[in-house]
This record gives sequence, C-alpha cells and structure tokens, in this order.
Amino acid sequence: MLPLSLLSAAQNKPMLVELKNGETFNGHLVNCDNFMNITLREVYQTSADGDRFWKLKECYIRGSTVTCAQIKYLRVPDTLLDSVKEEQARAREASRSARGAGPGSRGGPCLYFHALPRI
Amino acid sequence: MDSLIPFTTSGALVDCVDRKMLVVLRDGRKLHGVLRSYDQFANLVLEDTVERIYHGNAFAEHWHGLFLIRGENVVLLGEIDLDQEDDIPLRQVDYNVLDPYHKMDIADRKGREDFKARVLYEQKGFCKEGGEGDGY
Repeated sequence: MLPLSLLSAAQNKPMLVELKNGETFNGHLVNCDNFMNITLREVYQTSADGDRFWKLKECYIRGSTVTCAQIKYLRVPDTLLDSVKEEQARAREASRSARGAGPGSRGGPCLYFHALPRI
Repeated sequence: MDSLIPFTTSGALVDCVDRKMLVVLRDGRKLHGVLRSYDQFANLVLEDTVERIYHGNAFAEHWHGLFLIRGENVVLLGEIDLDQEDDIPLRQVDYNVLDPYHKMDIADRKGREDFKARVLYEQKGFCKEGGEGDGY
C-alpha cells in the first residue's frame, strides 16, 4: 500500500505529526490530500522544546512542512488494512470487467504499477 | 526485462521493501525499522520503528511504532544486516539516561555549525544556509 494511501486510510484515527521545526501536533486526522496537506481536529500542539502547549479545535498543516507523521497509537486493526485491500481488489475487478465489456483494443501490458509491491 | 525494474525510478526501492532498514533524517535522527512501502517521492512507511541515540560508548533505543516519513527529510537509507545487527561494540543503556547527553551533543554541534556558517558568511563570502539547516 502506498504511503499516501496508508495516510488516507488513517482518517479519523489519532496520530502525531511532527513539523520540520520540531513542533508536534497530536490529533485526529480529518482529511489529507496528495500533497500531504492534512487537517486535524482536537489537536494538542507542543512547541519544539516541549515547554509550551496549545489546544486547537482544528488545524491545517501544509504538506511541505511535515517531517514525519508519526502514526504512534494508530490502532490499526488488521481488519482495516484487509478491508482496504479488499476494496482495492473489488475496485480493480469492477474496472477490469467494465473495460472488458466495452469496445476498443486492450493494448500491451503496463509495467508501471504492477511492478510495485502491494501490502 | 523484469530484472531492470530496480533501475527504474518507480522500482528503485523495490529491493528494500520488507527489509530492516536504517533511515537517517535531516534533523539527525537515526531510525531503524522495516520498510513496508514507498512512492516516487521516497515517502516511506516504516514499521516497528526504533529511534537510536548514541553518546560515547553507549547507545539507547526508543520504540516509536508505525512511521510515515516525508521523503524530502530523508538523508539516506541503509539495509541492516540481520546477522551482524547484534554485534554492537557499544553498551545499551536506558533511553532516559542517555537523552540529556544526546541533547547536549546536538546543542554543541549546532553551536559549532552556526559559528562555522557565520565565519564563512562574514569572512569568506559564502551565503547563508536556508533556515532549518541539517542536523546530521
């Protein structure tokens, strides 16, 4: 599963995001996009030195300022990971059958994303 | 044709997946973990991540769990040889014991780098580094 897919699958889960300046934001992920911009709610912000704290109802973090999203206590039920994989498989089946039913040639095999490992 | 995949940009890290790797970040952190996934920006998903700090002849570890690392913050990625992994000539101590020394090391290094950057800027005509600098 691609990193950004994992992040999207973590919506509504608690996580810790650390910025490049060392500040940390603990909150629940509301949404994210392909640029890794994220919105969090019920956020506890800690300064880089760990001496100042803020509580924010919502916050928006620009992807370019993130160092690592430390998904610390993400209670990843393996069921969630499996259900996401199932969804992906179902979506693939659906699009494959739709393409098969439609007109037009199928072209050669596409190497790109079939080469990437799926977890 | 299939064997050329590791030489493509999208398949560059395919041989590293599901292996224990050392990741060094730009802020100087050294993380050990199992690389689960990556993308074209080298964003990484690292499982069972352990952060390791060193001081003198001792080291300490701190478990962090599941990490999603933004690719631009990564300096390097190195595969850990599981056979040699435990032959460490240093002794392991508690994280809380070593942490203050580690922070002291970081502060010292930062002081030296800042001083160096200032001299280079003022006397040698180098330009200033962009903001956050690189802790490693």
